[in-house]
Amino acid sequence: MKKELKVIGKPIPKHDARMRVTGEAVYGHDIVLPNMLYGAILRTEHPSAILESIDVSAAKKLPGVVCVITAEDVDVNNIGYKRDHPILKKGEVNCTRDEIAAVAAETKEIARQALKLIKVKYKVRKGVYDAFEALKESSPQINKFISGKFDNKNIAETFHYEHGNLEEEKKKSAAIVTRRFTLPRMTHACMATSNITASFNPVDRKLLLYSSTQVPFLYQRDMAHALKMNPSDIRVIQPIIGGGFGSKLDMHPFEPICALLSIKTGRPVQILYSREEEFIASPIRQPMVIDLTAGVDKKGNFTFREINIVKDNGAYTSWGATTPFVIMQAFSSLYKLGACRFDAKAVYTNNIFAGSFRGYGNPQATFALERVIDLLADEIGMDHAEIRLLNANEKGETTGQGLHYETCGHKECLETVISKSHYSKKKALDKGERFKRGIGLASMLHVGGGAKIYRSDGCGTTLKIDPYGYCTIITGSNEIGQGSETVLAMIASEELGIELKKIKVINTDTDIKPWDVGVHASRTSFVAGNSLLGAIKILKEKLNKKAAQLLKADHSEFEYENNQIRSAKTNDSIALDKVVREMHFSEPNELAIASFFYEPSSKFQDKNFKGNVSGTYAFASQSIEVEVDTYTGNVRVLDVYVAQDVGKVLNPLLLDGQIEGGILQGVGYALTEELLMHEGKILNPNFHNYKMLTASDIPNIHFFPIETNDKEGPYGAKGVGEAPLIPTAAAITNAVCNALGVEFVELPLTPERILKAISLNKKNNNHNANPISL
Amino acid sequence: MEFNIINPKTKSELLKTIRKEKHFRFGAGCTDLLMELKKNSDEGLTVINLSQVKDAQFNGVKKSAKGIRLGAMLTAHQIVMNEDIKNNFPVLHEAALSLASTQIRQVATIGGNLCTASPSGDMACALVTLEADCEILGANGKARTIPITDFFTGVRKTALKKNEVLYGIFIPSKKKKVKNITSRFIKIGARRSMECSVVSLAYHIQTDETGKIIHAGVAIGASAPTIRFAKSACGFLIGKKFKNISQREKEEFAGKVLSYASPITDIRATAWYRKEVLFNISKAIFE
Repeated sequence: MKKELKVIGKPIPKHDARMRVTGEAVYGHDIVLPNMLYGAILRTEHPSAILESIDVSAAKKLPGVVCVITAEDVDVNNIGYKRDHPILKKGEVNCTRDEIAAVAAETKEIARQALKLIKVKYKVRKGVYDAFEALKESSPQINKFISGKFDNKNIAETFHYEHGNLEEEKKKSAAIVTRRFTLPRMTHACMATSNITASFNPVDRKLLLYSSTQVPFLYQRDMAHALKMNPSDIRVIQPIIGGGFGSKLDMHPFEPICALLSIKTGRPVQILYSREEEFIASPIRQPMVIDLTAGVDKKGNFTFREINIVKDNGAYTSWGATTPFVIMQAFSSLYKLGACRFDAKAVYTNNIFAGSFRGYGNPQATFALERVIDLLADEIGMDHAEIRLLNANEKGETTGQGLHYETCGHKECLETVISKSHYSKKKALDKGERFKRGIGLASMLHVGGGAKIYRSDGCGTTLKIDPYGYCTIITGSNEIGQGSETVLAMIASEELGIELKKIKVINTDTDIKPWDVGVHASRTSFVAGNSLLGAIKILKEKLNKKAAQLLKADHSEFEYENNQIRSAKTNDSIALDKVVREMHFSEPNELAIASFFYEPSSKFQDKNFKGNVSGTYAFASQSIEVEVDTYTGNVRVLDVYVAQDVGKVLNPLLLDGQIEGGILQGVGYALTEELLMHEGKILNPNFHNYKMLTASDIPNIHFFPIETNDKEGPYGAKGVGEAPLIPTAAAITNAVCNALGVEFVELPLTPERILKAISLNKKNNNHNANPISL
Repeated sequence: MEFNIINPKTKSELLKTIRKEKHFRFGAGCTDLLMELKKNSDEGLTVINLSQVKDAQFNGVKKSAKGIRLGAMLTAHQIVMNEDIKNNFPVLHEAALSLASTQIRQVATIGGNLCTASPSGDMACALVTLEADCEILGANGKARTIPITDFFTGVRKTALKKNEVLYGIFIPSKKKKVKNITSRFIKIGARRSMECSVVSLAYHIQTDETGKIIHAGVAIGASAPTIRFAKSACGFLIGKKFKNISQREKEEFAGKVLSYASPITDIRATAWYRKEVLFNISKAIFE
């Protein structure tokens, strides 16, 4: 009989919730070290220019200024995924974020004042602000650090993938649709601005960093490479992070700059971004143009997809350039598909560079794909729900790319949202006059069991129980607000019968914790959960042995409950803390401690990007109802029905938080959020004109978790963090198109774009109006 | 952002400060002022903080047969909570409620909304519709009153002279039968709160027992360098039955409202969008 779960599946609040809401939580901004200086960074005035001279003499003379550095003063390596990014720029600038000099001073005010005294002479150049323009022969080479691996001087990275017989599938097709989609720049807008406190000890020459990174061990390695140090001489401590969403996957120049200021001065230095700086100098979701051609046979089976993507890489290459790993999964493996050819290139421009952002390219891909699915259905006269159900992925399927779906809730997700939202009934309703209603569907596929893109996708855990019966989980994984610490504590509580308040999670210090890749790919609860379960198993073997000895039992079957270890056979029990004390203090004197390293069963993909890259896969569908005001172009999202294959609900409260937060980010992506640029400069670096939605814009969210109990996941669970955002913009756009009978191929759907589309449609007086790209 | 601050506690202290200081700006709720000073610091500036001045005429509401007088220092929140305003001048109630967020409404003042003279001012737009008068206090303690349309002279420019402060706003009651009013504030923006109007339309229309329009006030915001009172559109409505306005008349009315608009294209919207929406929402008054 299956054991009844006592803690897992219960709505337990985040273990640090009280600290957070009372202001007791210590964020990077709260850190003050003795003798600390404040750093500030001078950025370029022009996105593309020759740096003729930099004069820091006046800044150095300002009382209170301790150190001023430029590229001339430091011996460092380039940073970034392609090592094409100088920390401080020398000779030229190529992007509005470019760092020219940095100051450390006794106060923030003096540091800022000193920046104004630095005189920079620029020779302004005409920049290249369009990726297609950058691909032309006539365009200058923008980044001088690339190796010339590609046939065009401004290509930073390319991806090619294919499966199946494309020509055959084209022949089978009864309808083929081609569209070009254009996706905007979206920024994370984390509540806490970027921050770092660096403390270099001039005596032992070790560097201590309080950094809000999502990937501490990769960060430690990158920092060491940048500064030409030994990674183990760098200790990374994570303060509480006020929002990650992928923005902290790359190490950014301000971080080694802060370390350099500390190394130069021998004093701790702190750099905190202002909100404006956060908008200008933190990463974004990749803007891209997707050309998609897709086919369907007369019965409604999807036949093939051909994809060409041009991504605006900006001036330097970040992890953002690798999003085609995920994008190609959506195109190759979401819904059953005969053949696929995928090409993507990241192109250097003088624009701001992207980074990683929750969904990692998947919201862009899903938007294009799910839009085209509606069009294909229309072409062959099939219902939008029916075509999706017909092609939905299934349990046991291995896709053309080699993704293996051991469990798969795709069809159930679709069926759930179609029925719960009364999709068919609502779609057939009269649309109304001024206020037109529409409903739209979209699904998504995402990795749900990590993603093996490094040599290891593993996570280490050390687990100990002290003589007082308290448990400490030292995990390689880390917390960026997603709640995985709480989930880990719940797992320990469930398995060891120790109450939650006696469980501590240590996860912030690279000097202490075992290795882990970091927070990305919705992996933490899956990978760290499995790692913890492995450590628990080992520790229980030790405890069982001691308990058997103390209870004079001749078996090893014990149950853990209420801080007691109880014999499954005789029902005799003994306090857990007593067992631990006996282990520690009586011969042969051993610790109640265990370590485990978990590596998911996934495979590193081959050079053709084929292979089962994740331990399991997550699916979700959304059905969204909107109301469009045809007088103003405003779209109101009324109801979002979301069904997600989460494997198993570990904590419904935290799950709701992930779903709601993700959907709201998706609504912003669909309707209002766009970092506007003109010739390399950001026009709206503030919350006034970068329109994040507010509490009053929140739709009704109806969430239906689908439990497929994947044997790979802890208790059957899959990763959930990114999924809720991924299909939202696609479903909203499908709903708006349904409401208006007009096509959209560009996000966000601002009131102006909507009104323009309505107006053009009226002029054309034609229901098959051209897609609107404005 | 550095400035000196003076906190007068009484009207006479305030007037004395105005007479004495050379380089100053008034701060009421400071929701706009601080943003502005953060962007463009102004060396040696003194901010005269009005929020601690204890003065019934500056902070209070006074009702009379002729209308209602609002102290310039009333906050948007106080306007929202005032029952007389809600019942008699819903357009102002809605405008105040549409302003920014609950938090900002606790400090932002009606006087500040007028003196900042933004073409997209919400309460300002409602007050133009209501044909309010502005009561201006000179440094010598003498007051003068001007119609609100004369108060706005350009983008972020008012008729206030160097040593003058806005003291109060008087809203006249137009006709006695206040029950038959259709009075709304329509704010257009990308989100439902924390928004600055991309276009706004304020109207306050009164009808007699038969439904005939006997008074109309219509004003537009964010559509011209100043908030405009659409006089010819108002005149067009007089004598017509509110419920019987034909499609052609609706469009003619909307066209008249639009004739007051000369919007710009900026980061938030194009001139085309502003005009299109203004026409549509003007027409919608009767739908």
